[in-house]
Amino acid sequence: MVERKRIEIPEGVKVKEVVEEIKEFPFDISPMYEGERVRKDDMYVELGGPNVKAKFELVLALPPDQVNDGKVTIVGPDLDEMEEGKSYPYAMIYYIAGEQIETDLEPVIERRNHDFQNYIQGYMHLNQRYEIWCRISKSAIKKGLKSLAEIAKATMMLYKNELPFIEKIEAVYITDEALVEKILKEVAMPIYEERDKRVELLHDEDVDVFYSCTLCQSFAPTNVCIVSPDRPSLCGAITWFDGRAAARVDPEGPIREVPKGNCIDPIKGEYDKINEFAARESGGEYTRICLHSFFDAPHTSCGCFEVIGFYIPEVDGIGFVHRGYTGTAPNGLTFSTMAGQTGGGKQMVGFLGIGIAYFRSKKFLQADGGWYRVVWMPKELKERVKDYIPEDMRDKIATEEDANTIEELKEFLKKVDHPVVKGVVRPVDGKKITEGWKEEVEEVKEEVKEEVKEEAAAAPAQVTPAAPMPVQQPTAPIQLPAIQMPQVQAAPAGIKLIIKDAKITIDKVVIRKAEKG
Amino acid sequence: MTVIAVTGKGGTGKTLVSSLLIYFISRSGYKILGVDADPDSNLPDALGVEVKKTLGDVKEVFQVSRDKIGSMNKEQWLEGMIYSEAIYEFEGFDLLVMGRPEGEGCYCFVNALLRNILKRMVRHYDYVIVDSEAGLEIFSRKTIESADYVVVVTDTSKKGLETARRIKELSNELKLKFKGMYLIGNRITSEEAEKKIRDFAISEGFDLLEILPYDERVVDLDIRGEPVVNLSEDSEVYKRMMRVADHFLNIRILDGVIEWQKSLRLKSS
Repeated sequence: MVERKRIEIPEGVKVKEVVEEIKEFPFDISPMYEGERVRKDDMYVELGGPNVKAKFELVLALPPDQVNDGKVTIVGPDLDEMEEGKSYPYAMIYYIAGEQIETDLEPVIERRNHDFQNYIQGYMHLNQRYEIWCRISKSAIKKGLKSLAEIAKATMMLYKNELPFIEKIEAVYITDEALVEKILKEVAMPIYEERDKRVELLHDEDVDVFYSCTLCQSFAPTNVCIVSPDRPSLCGAITWFDGRAAARVDPEGPIREVPKGNCIDPIKGEYDKINEFAARESGGEYTRICLHSFFDAPHTSCGCFEVIGFYIPEVDGIGFVHRGYTGTAPNGLTFSTMAGQTGGGKQMVGFLGIGIAYFRSKKFLQADGGWYRVVWMPKELKERVKDYIPEDMRDKIATEEDANTIEELKEFLKKVDHPVVKGVVRPVDGKKITEGWKEEVEEVKEEVKEEVKEEAAAAPAQVTPAAPMPVQQPTAPIQLPAIQMPQVQAAPAGIKLIIKDAKITIDKVVIRKAEKG
Repeated sequence: MTVIAVTGKGGTGKTLVSSLLIYFISRSGYKILGVDADPDSNLPDALGVEVKKTLGDVKEVFQVSRDKIGSMNKEQWLEGMIYSEAIYEFEGFDLLVMGRPEGEGCYCFVNALLRNILKRMVRHYDYVIVDSEAGLEIFSRKTIESADYVVVVTDTSKKGLETARRIKELSNELKLKFKGMYLIGNRITSEEAEKKIRDFAISEGFDLLEILPYDERVVDLDIRGEPVVNLSEDSEVYKRMMRVADHFLNIRILDGVIEWQKSLRLKSS
């Protein structure tokens, strides 16, 4: 972890310190001013923004004895020394202390800088971290704004009023280019990177609440959307952090907090309060939701999902197809056909809508073997998520280049010795969850024999120089459907179907030879 | 904030009306946001300005970058993108072009963020003038919460009038509580045509705001590809549109008085 300490201010730069309280600010402070855009014509100066490289904002949690409550330090030129119409480097650093304050809270507190500063009339704050962009209006200057210390003091006042757990707060605002650059590089960037890494390390068990979004409930009425640290939303748009941000801003809004309650099954990701919530939210339709399971009470699928997962019984594996893929999956269905099946907020075992970001999850379908159960995905999708596929599985998942039918898929999986062939052991607890293709293995042998025979039969045919033959398939002498052909021809005997006034929509028809005996 | 939606069948002159409204009202020093909410129209061209990026473009960037934003706040990220790349500042007014329709995938979340951002933003303008397609989608989807006044532009063609009637019905269905529904007749060449528009306004319940004559100079500008706001001052369309703009400048003052009276009543009760 990056060490949290006060910024060292080098000798020789201009420093202004303000400790005394400001009784009356030369500007209005109100949420009414949020969204106010300071236009170029009305701009006194710009701090940070697109024309300046050196800029950032940062909150640092420090021990109480290292924070001088209420103190503001301005390093570099202040407002009254700036030239009208120009852009300046800008850093806002807040030291905070309080009994309940931990490093984890830094980003949450830092985000509020945006809200509070926008309460200030004539001051525009946009973006975050190293992209901040502030403007101060000419009218604010006319009304008497003279120093950044006044902005800092007002922001600190709002911090303490709105977030009472902040016991001490001190601000350092820097406009000196070299120092902003130095601290950005040495302190701020490593902290931002650390935060993003922490996101990946945050898991369902580390938090008490998940979030639920009702934005798409109008067309998926029984949908129960649960967003947890290990399971981003199906639409791909909302992470647990987004949920937290939205629920805090508008607790009555479309994204709400859901306490997870007690864990019933840590592997499937089942929680008692989430189940209760699911029952309520779906109007009693679904009483259980397991976050990381494909087969037992899976998450409902709204219709917005980026990717749909589908069970392929013939290989006892799971395939995935994304929205942009227009071809058919090995099961003969397209994304839209499968989406039509499960969309609308249904919990349908065998199909599951997910967001692409869920492939990154450490708990990705862990109850059902996760990646070790995945047998097929379009090449484009596989490319996008390939960094998250365990190394030993990367070459074992087929794409449309390897297999487009169930038979081709079987061949491929056998060839690469995919775990589903001999049985999947799920990594989460080492339990063997599938038996593998027991009967299949025998059948496979038979089939191979048949194929060999077929090949042998085909071979002599090629030897006789029959006219059109050589053009055909010198590279692919084995055509599996050929074996099935006579069976299909034999099938119609003994069937009589009379259908009157019927309208039938069929996604897939499977015709199999009746079992003998 | 006063939101004026200018709409009507394509080709009847609604971009002419919205661009001249923006032009005249901006001369009075108010803060103005122009919104081009019709993918088929070209408000920037009519105003003689250039816009490189639309809100639709920014939404697409959001859709593809959202996984890379890390733990940053997405609403603030999107707001920054909109303020810096989708809103253009010109002399006297800002301009936002809605742009292309959505691609595949789910836009629920980005649109929800967008509504919050625009809601906070538009209230800081004195006038928001929206050039909207006849379906009023920008309001039915609550991208912009509501309009105060709707101005329907039509010529005497059957299709133009039919569209005007449908817009009236639609606004009732959508329960958009407009303070006023106005009609502007455009390219009116005869007294007979004028009467047709007047009768139509009465029978359908529109307030007839103005009758614009057929104007060669508007056609000339169009042929030369010049902005409508270059229209010469002695042109009849120019003069009458100035009157329309004055109407909306006055109405703002009147609305202000009504609001003030309401607040007095609230205080006393």
